Amino acid sequence: MNREALIQIVKQPVQWIEDRTGVIAFSTPLLSHHVPRSAKWWYVFGSATLMFFTIQIVTGVCLGTMYAPSASNAWESLRYIDEEIPLGWMLRALHGWSSSAMVVMMAIHMLQVFMHGSFKFPRELNWITGVFLLLTVLALAFTGQVMRWDQDAYWGLGIGAAIVDRVPVFGDQMRALMLGGPIIGGETLNRFFALHVFILPGAAIGLVGVHMALIMKNGISEMPKPGEIVVPSTYRKGFEERMEKSGVPFFPDAAQRDMVFCGVCLILLVFLAAYYGPFGPGGMPDPTLINTNPRPDYPFMWIFGAVSLLPPASETAIMLISPVVGIVILVAVPFLSNSGERAPSRRPGMMLLAVFVVMAIVALTWEGVTSPWSPVMDGWSALPTPTQFVKGRTPLQMQGAVVFQYAQCRNCHELGGFGGKRGPALDEIATRMSPDQIVRQVQQGGGNMPAFGKNLNSAQMTAIVGFLSTLRPENEADSSIPGAQLPLPIKSPLVVNSPFTGTGVPAEISAGVSSR
Amino acid sequence: MSDDSKGETKKEGCAGCDCGGGGGAGGSLPPVAQQDARRGFMFKFGAGLLGIGGILAAVPIVGYIIGPARSRYRNEWVDLGVTTLYPSGQTRFATFLNPIRQPTDGDAAKTACWVRCVEAGKFQVFAINCAHLGCPVRWFEQSKLFMCPCHGGVYYQDGTRAAGPPPRGLFEYKWKVEGGKLLIDAGRLPGLEESV
Amino acid sequence: MKLRMSRFLSCLSILAFLGCDRMPGKPQEATPIVIGSPAWTQSTFNTNCRGCHSQGAEGAAIPLIDAGYWKVATDAQVIQVLEQGQGVLMPSYLDSNGGPLSSDQIAAFVKGMRTLWGDGSSGGQGGISGTVVAGNASAGSQVFASACASCHAAGGSAGSVTDPMYLKLISNQGLWSAVVYGRAALGSPAWNQPMPKHPNGLTPTEVADVVCWIAQSRPMSSANAQVNSIPKDKNVSDSK
Repeated sequence: MNREALIQIVKQPVQWIEDRTGVIAFSTPLLSHHVPRSAKWWYVFGSATLMFFTIQIVTGVCLGTMYAPSASNAWESLRYIDEEIPLGWMLRALHGWSSSAMVVMMAIHMLQVFMHGSFKFPRELNWITGVFLLLTVLALAFTGQVMRWDQDAYWGLGIGAAIVDRVPVFGDQMRALMLGGPIIGGETLNRFFALHVFILPGAAIGLVGVHMALIMKNGISEMPKPGEIVVPSTYRKGFEERMEKSGVPFFPDAAQRDMVFCGVCLILLVFLAAYYGPFGPGGMPDPTLINTNPRPDYPFMWIFGAVSLLPPASETAIMLISPVVGIVILVAVPFLSNSGERAPSRRPGMMLLAVFVVMAIVALTWEGVTSPWSPVMDGWSALPTPTQFVKGRTPLQMQGAVVFQYAQCRNCHELGGFGGKRGPALDEIATRMSPDQIVRQVQQGGGNMPAFGKNLNSAQMTAIVGFLSTLRPENEADSSIPGAQLPLPIKSPLVVNSPFTGTGVPAEISAGVSSR
Repeated sequence: MSDDSKGETKKEGCAGCDCGGGGGAGGSLPPVAQQDARRGFMFKFGAGLLGIGGILAAVPIVGYIIGPARSRYRNEWVDLGVTTLYPSGQTRFATFLNPIRQPTDGDAAKTACWVRCVEAGKFQVFAINCAHLGCPVRWFEQSKLFMCPCHGGVYYQDGTRAAGPPPRGLFEYKWKVEGGKLLIDAGRLPGLEESV
Repeated sequence: MKLRMSRFLSCLSILAFLGCDRMPGKPQEATPIVIGSPAWTQSTFNTNCRGCHSQGAEGAAIPLIDAGYWKVATDAQVIQVLEQGQGVLMPSYLDSNGGPLSSDQIAAFVKGMRTLWGDGSSGGQGGISGTVVAGNASAGSQVFASACASCHAAGGSAGSVTDPMYLKLISNQGLWSAVVYGRAALGSPAWNQPMPKHPNGLTPTEVADVVCWIAQSRPMSSANAQVNSIPKDKNVSDSK
């Protein structure tokens, strides 16, 4: 078969379809519209977000064929998908990793648009639809976490319910509306299922459509140059002239970069999914299994971190008002500044703001991940007293070390680098507090420490203070008498066959001390 | 139908009509005056019918969605077992099936609480949920403290706040002893708006 | 180019369909937890016991990861301690006392620990009882003076064992265990090991006598060295 005949065979049905639908006439301008020549690698993140969203829809529909949206067996159905369905785990992994990737790409895209001032005239609505897309995607991420229906999902809903419950007057009704009833149960999962698979994806698809239409209408913004000022009255004319003169067609000139970047992202996604596997499901969603440390997924970790750092007095107000204020500010961005300079170098205040917001989110996320305010719940019974703190102690001090574990001090205080971070590490407490001060602190609490006075008898108190008074680097004075060099006897007992008899400090002691 | 409405819109007064692209397509012939009047009535009638139908349809839909917020869920007395399960001076873990539950709740209908027997016949029953953001608190017999794994809320054995972010003490269930059994008034997820 | 590409793609898809289910990301099927298995024993120990009873020089109480301990202690003795608690500082781990383990689980746990860390014996092989044996206090006084006092008298180099605060915190069984097991890694010899002023160690009778004498120096009511534990502090006063 020769080439000409082949072309004819292909051409005829194509022409027929074009005649009846106009699809080529419709899509040609979409592909060939001119974009700025300067639109280079900065502009790939929006496309990547869209690609991940497509992956979400495809994998989501696939998972929808197996997932049981019912509180009584959602968790089991996920285990079944993971373990029994061929490649089921891979689909879940793709869906989970692609969700994270979409949030990340979206954040970078938004940051780029903000830093380049691309939201200014005439692209205000591009920004605003983008803000609503961001909210929709975050809502998809949260409802997706609920779909896992494990302990984190259950208690995450509990946290959400407790926040909603704080709304004045209507809190109770709003919580019932959110949970679909007075408890977290079957109706809750189905409500979030409807949100996750119908309402939010529908909203996202619609918003993506509007977002794309606005891009076609207003064009892709050029790379900002210092001195090229946006003047609303003349901007459109100038932009169209420049596109006419120096623009390049979107396809293939700009699209090729998108293709390269999206291809790399896609390959990375598959490898991440294949190597690290799906997220969860964690423990069974049984609220009577309370040996759990509920944590949200990463996109919400910064909120989890923030709510632990709020002062109790203003906590409710901040929790309820700040999201509203945040959304209003985001929506208002293009109206607060919709003309003038776009170049980052001419907008130092805006750049500082962006850097501040990013750093705040990163820092709060880190706080959320490490959760230094959370007690290590089994610290007292799981973390042994390190050797350097039991060596050479008297029997009473040793009992004090046991009391230290017994009274769960370790849940909030570190020794030798292990333990809770809620309170200060106590490795060198004797250099900071005298025995009397330690007694007072343990008995009365204070500074966010509970009072232990009623729960420790005099012998326990004496022993624990005796133990704590030995916690200091070798050769450093205790603080009982200011200025006096009165080290308590910390030395190895003189025993004939002790491996530690002799002079000098055993290596572990000095190492343990100097590393703090 | 769409042609009709376009013609109507154009006539009704959006004179300049350069605000949207919709009017631009209205290149149809100018309607005859008689037809025009009938169409005006038809349009209003149609809009009214659609409005009434819409409201009629919206009532059950909205009512269905906001139903949970309007329902009055009643707590019920739940049996936590004989009082001898809870020795005097001790705090014990107890679980029960929530009296307000749905067929599809699965394990989520199970509920946990902490029962403290202050002295024989005198109890305190605490909700498992931290008063801060609802995470499950754990009892530590040795230090006589409840600790929360989420944001580090700490409570004394009587439920009062000891440390951390909670704005108040632990939520308490109402309790009574009947026939040697401890009963609590349970059901709704505890919240700040009202004590359980 | 085209050929290589398609070959690459077909390789990739074959890999995807055949190999994917053996990728590292595939979740492991949940292995049911077998009560009494080494893994269960180890994790139960790590969560509940290790904070105080660790190994070597680590931890403030008697190490359990120690063949010497399992040589002396019998299963029944360890089960008794886990179920009832011991003295002031060792809580009960029995569920009916508010602990995390059922009676059966405690028995399986003790058996599991012996398998993991014991020397194959079933306990009671150390030449001395694992629990307190009645002794003679006046004889014990002499044993203390000759064997212990050089380090453990009031103001002694290794710290006093007759300190009333110490004795309030440790049960007679605790004293017995401290003498019998020692803490070799911390320089405290076991009962039959050479001591600085007592090169031949103690005899079982001497251990019983000296524990009896030390227990009698406790300022509280217990003049009887047979008392296995001292009463818990009933300190549950209510702030309301």
